[in-house]
Amino acid sequence: MIKLLFFGRLGDFAGGVSASIEAAEGLTPAIVRDGLAADHPALFAELSQSQVLISLNQMIVGWDQPIFDGAELAFLPPVTGG
Amino acid sequence: MNSTIRIQAYDFDLAAEYELLRQFDSAVGTVVIFTGLVRDLEKNASINSLTLQHYPGMTESLLQEIVDQAQQRWDLIGVTVIHRVGELLPSDQIVFVGVASQHRADAFEAAQFVMDYLKTKATFWKKVDQDGQQHWVESKDSDQAASQRWANDD
Repeated sequence: MIKLLFFGRLGDFAGGVSASIEAAEGLTPAIVRDGLAADHPALFAELSQSQVLISLNQMIVGWDQPIFDGAELAFLPPVTGG
Repeated sequence: MNSTIRIQAYDFDLAAEYELLRQFDSAVGTVVIFTGLVRDLEKNASINSLTLQHYPGMTESLLQEIVDQAQQRWDLIGVTVIHRVGELLPSDQIVFVGVASQHRADAFEAAQFVMDYLKTKATFWKKVDQDGQQHWVESKDSDQAASQRWANDD
């Protein structure tokens, strides 16, 4: 399983902060995002914005980073703390 | 250098945090303290409350990285960063940055650097309640610009 986390406004589009998907051969964050396009077009549009960063196991990575079983993939909109 | 990073729902005590920084070392000649509070306005409309979400684990690591960078750039003795999460009300304290050093220039600059980087890199998100309507706060270009100027100094 891959744990998905959607923070900030992305959670509203995803219907919650946390979700999970099955692991698969050759999976990347871009493939996970594109896989959401059909069933969750609004979420897909939000994830496609250039300011959205992604982290894999709490490290910022690129959209083509390989994802292995058991990983935690988080989608991070621009931060607004402080 | 001593560093303390805390993410907590409960309030912090300014005097207690100051005392800890003051007493790290007898070489401490200055302590600069910054506190951030909940403003009552967001986009010129009053707010009822503000809720802070964060990414547990990652936020602490990112704050530690920011503090480590500050330590490399300036001569520091102690740094404390406290950020609150959960629901807060106008005038509540949100964030504390305290820097102890031998001389004031290091502490002033490091405190500003930590806040500028915290605002643009640490994984916190604010949601405001305005008259029963909740919405997520958008990031500000001015915060990006403030952060960018430190990168330009490298």
